[in-house]
Amino acid sequence: MADKTMPIFVPSEKPLKVVKWKVKQGVFVSQGQILFLYNDSSGTGTDIKKYKAVRAGTISSIKVKEGDIAEPGAPIAELEECRHPTVMKEMCAECGADLRTDEVTNRDVAVVPMVHSVPELKVSEELAQKLGREDADRLLKDRKLVLLVDLDQTLVHTTNDNIPPNLKGVLHFFLRGPGCPGRWCHTRLRPRTKEFLESASKNYELHVCTFGARQYAHAIADLLDPEKKYFSHRILSRDECFDARTKAANLKALFPCGDNMVCIIDDREDVWRHATNLIHVRPYSFFQSTGDINAPPPPENEKPKEKVTSVKNGAQVNQMPTLDAEPEQKDASKNKENKEEGGNGIIVAKDKEVKSSNTEEKPSEEADQEGDERIAAEAEPRWVETSDGQIEVEDPDDYLIYLEDILKRIHKHFYDNYDKMGKNQIPDLKSIIPEVKCEVLAGTSLVFSGLVPTHQRLETSRAYQVARSLGAEVTQDYSDKTTHLVAVRAGTAKVNASRKIGSDGKSNKLHVVTPDWLWTCAERWERVDERLYPLQRGGQSSSRRPPAHCSSPPPAPAPVAALRKRTPSGRFMDTINPLLSFSSDDIADMDREVEDIFNESDESSSDEEKPGDDDLDDEENPPEDRLISVSAENSMQDSLPDRLIQDSQEATNDSEMDDESRPRKRPRRSTPPSDDEPPDDDDSSWNLMGAALEKELLAQD
Amino acid sequence: MFYHISLEHEILLHPRYFGPQLLDIVKQKLYTEVEGTCTGKYGFVIAVTAIDSIGAGLIQPGQGFVVYPVKYKAIVFRPFKGEVLDAIVTQVNKVGMFAQIGPLSCFISHHSIPADMEFCPNVNPPCYKSKQEDNVIQEEDVIRLKIVGTRVDATGIFAIGTLMDDYLGLVTQ
Repeated sequence: MADKTMPIFVPSEKPLKVVKWKVKQGVFVSQGQILFLYNDSSGTGTDIKKYKAVRAGTISSIKVKEGDIAEPGAPIAELEECRHPTVMKEMCAECGADLRTDEVTNRDVAVVPMVHSVPELKVSEELAQKLGREDADRLLKDRKLVLLVDLDQTLVHTTNDNIPPNLKGVLHFFLRGPGCPGRWCHTRLRPRTKEFLESASKNYELHVCTFGARQYAHAIADLLDPEKKYFSHRILSRDECFDARTKAANLKALFPCGDNMVCIIDDREDVWRHATNLIHVRPYSFFQSTGDINAPPPPENEKPKEKVTSVKNGAQVNQMPTLDAEPEQKDASKNKENKEEGGNGIIVAKDKEVKSSNTEEKPSEEADQEGDERIAAEAEPRWVETSDGQIEVEDPDDYLIYLEDILKRIHKHFYDNYDKMGKNQIPDLKSIIPEVKCEVLAGTSLVFSGLVPTHQRLETSRAYQVARSLGAEVTQDYSDKTTHLVAVRAGTAKVNASRKIGSDGKSNKLHVVTPDWLWTCAERWERVDERLYPLQRGGQSSSRRPPAHCSSPPPAPAPVAALRKRTPSGRFMDTINPLLSFSSDDIADMDREVEDIFNESDESSSDEEKPGDDDLDDEENPPEDRLISVSAENSMQDSLPDRLIQDSQEATNDSEMDDESRPRKRPRRSTPPSDDEPPDDDDSSWNLMGAALEKELLAQD
Repeated sequence: MFYHISLEHEILLHPRYFGPQLLDIVKQKLYTEVEGTCTGKYGFVIAVTAIDSIGAGLIQPGQGFVVYPVKYKAIVFRPFKGEVLDAIVTQVNKVGMFAQIGPLSCFISHHSIPADMEFCPNVNPPCYKSKQEDNVIQEEDVIRLKIVGTRVDATGIFAIGTLMDDYLGLVTQ
C-alpha cells in the first residue's frame, strides 16, 4: 500500500499549533474522522478546531508533534489512500468507498472471488495470494489436502420424477426458485456416503463443487452434513461458476497459490478439462430414468425438463458410456440396450462373487440371460416391500469403499513426499495422483487379444491408455515378461498360444483374464484378483469398451457425423419442418446438384459438413450405435483417427453451441439440426427428441 | 435508523374485486405489496402502521383495472454511514464475516476486525478469535458494528461495517 501517499497540509494560510492528535501512526482512518485538534499559533488557544480526514486511508507518518507549530505549506502528516483490496458489491469493504463512482483505475484491483458462495466479494491479487498461502500453510500444518467433491452422481443421485414416496433411504425436499413454482427433488445418497465423508474429512478439507444451482447445492450439503462440519461454507455451485461448461476456471480463484494440494473427485472428466489431479469416479445411479439432473453444458432449456421417459426402458441411461454431454438420452429400443450392455454390465458380467456394483447393472446382467423378459426385470430392480410399508431397495454400490482407500493412498503418498522434500517445497498432486495410479499395475506386462482392432495402432487404443495409466506395460505380442493376457474371447491365436506357454512351464504366471479385470482395476485403483475374471471357453465377453468412468485419456465422443445424420422419415419433426421431411435420397440429390455447381469452391468445407459424403463419414467416423452393432471388429473410440478424435472432442464439448452456430456459418447444410438434439442418432432417441420437440412447440403455442 | 413516515403507494386492482369488500382488499394488497420491500430512499419498510386515506380509484382505459392512490404511515429502517448497530453474524470466512441486521446484510472485512483477532478455520463453526481466546466471534453471535458504507440499489441495501472502534465487537448478554 505504498504508492498512493498523500501529505496533509496546513489547512489555512496561517501557521497553526497542533493541540492534540486523535490518531496514531499506522492507524486506519475513515473519511471524516477527526485526525487532530489545532488552534492558531498566534492565538491564546481558546478557539480549538478539529481537522477531519478528507479521505479514507492509513496514517503512514506524523510529522508534527503535539504542541508544535506547523507552517503553511509544510506537511503535518502523510495519509496513504485505501487501495480497496477487498471489494463487496463494488464497494470497498475497508473504507466503505463506492467504487462505482470512483475513478476507473481503482476498479481493477480486487478481482479474485475467494469465497465459494459469495461471488460478489472480491479481493485483490495480493491479498488473495496472502490468504492462499495462509490456507496452504494451515493445511500442511494439519497434514491435510483439499478435496473438491462433486455431488450429482458422485455422492448422491437426484431425480425430479415422481417416485414412490415410501422408498427407503431416499430424501425428499422442495426447492422454490425465484420466479419458478419450485420442484420436488428426491435424493438418494450413495451407500456409505456418511462414512466416506467422515473418513475423508480426516485427511482432506472438503469443498463442494457442483453444477447444481446454489439452492440445490446448499440443500444437498445440508442433507450430507447437517452440522456443517465437513463442508462449512465451502460450497461452490453453478451460480458461482465462471463458466457454464467447466469447473476448472474457478480453481484459480479459490486457490490463488496454485492447485497443487487440490484433489478432485467427479464423475465427469470433461468439466475439469481432464485434469490429472482428478479421480474419475464411477457415476452413481439409483433412479433409473434420470441421469445427472445438473449436467454441465445446459441445453437452452432448464435442466429438469430433460427427462421425459418412463422408467420401463430408460434403464441403462446413466450407465451408458455417453462420452458426450448428454447423459440423459433415453433409449426405448431393446436392441440398443442389448448393445449398451457391452459397455455397462461388464463390471459384473463375469463375476458372481464380487458384488454387482449397481442396481442397474445387476438387472441387466440377468436380462442378458433372460432375453426378452429383461425389460420387466429392469423396471423393478429388487425393490422389496418391508413390513412397515417402506420399500427397501437393494443398492449394492460399494464404490465409496474403494474411493476412500484411493484417497488415503494419495494423502499418504503426498505427505511422504513432502517429508522427504526440503522445507518450503510442496509436492504437486497433479503429478502425485498419476504416480499413485501408476503403482496399481506396476510390474505387470499385458498383452491384448481381440481388444484392439487390427487396423488400429495399439498405442492409440483406450485399453492401452487405461493400462498405461495404471502403470502396466503393454506389448503387442508375448515377451518373457508378459504376465497377463487380456482377451475378449477364447479361441484367438494369442489365447491358444498362451496355453502353450503355460504348458511349457516357463512362464506359469501368465494370467488369462477378460477385459473386465482391467476395467475393474482402473475403477478401484487396485490389482484385483485375476481369478475372479477368468476367460471362459466359448463365452464371449462383451466388455471390449471400457466403461465411461475408467477412461483416463480424454474419451473420444460421439462423432460429429452422427449429429448430422439424415433424418429418417416418419417422425414427428418431419411433419413440422418441410426441410426435415425430405428423405435422405432427396437431400442427397439436392446435395449433388449443389455440389456440381460449387464443385471447385468445395474444398474449404470439411468432409463432415458435406451431407453427400455421408458414406465416407460413416466409415471414418461412424455414429455410435452403428458402431456398437458392428463392434465385433471395431472398438468404437479406438477406430477414430487422431484428427477426428480431436475434432469430435471439440464437438462434444460444444456440440450444442456448435449446432446453433453452424447453419449460419455453413448455409449449405441441408438438414438443420434441432437444438436439443443429443449427439446420438439412435432411432428411439430420435423419437424421444421428436416428442420433446413436439412438447416444446406445443408449449410455444 | 428507524423512522415513522408517511408514504404513498398506488394499488392496481383487478375488476373481479369490485364489490362490497373492495376497500379491504385494497388494504390487504397494500400490506402485501409494501411491507418487507426496500427502496433506496427510505430503506426497508418494516410495517404499515396506519392507512391515512385511500383516494378515488381511477379506471384504466381499455383494461378495466383500477388504480387507487393510498397514503399510509409506515415504520422504515434506513441504515446510514457511521451508524452503530447490533447485528447477528451469519457467516465467517477468511476474508471477513457477514452479519445480518434485520433485513440488512452487512460485510465486515478481515481488515476491519481488530488485528488481534485471528481467523480460525479449523474449529466448527469457524470463528475469529483473539490470542488470549477470551474474545470469540462465530456464527449466530451478536456483534455491535459501525456502518462505513452502504450500497443502495433500487431493490436493496447492502452495508459494509467495521469493528475498529471503541465499544464495538462482541456483545455479551
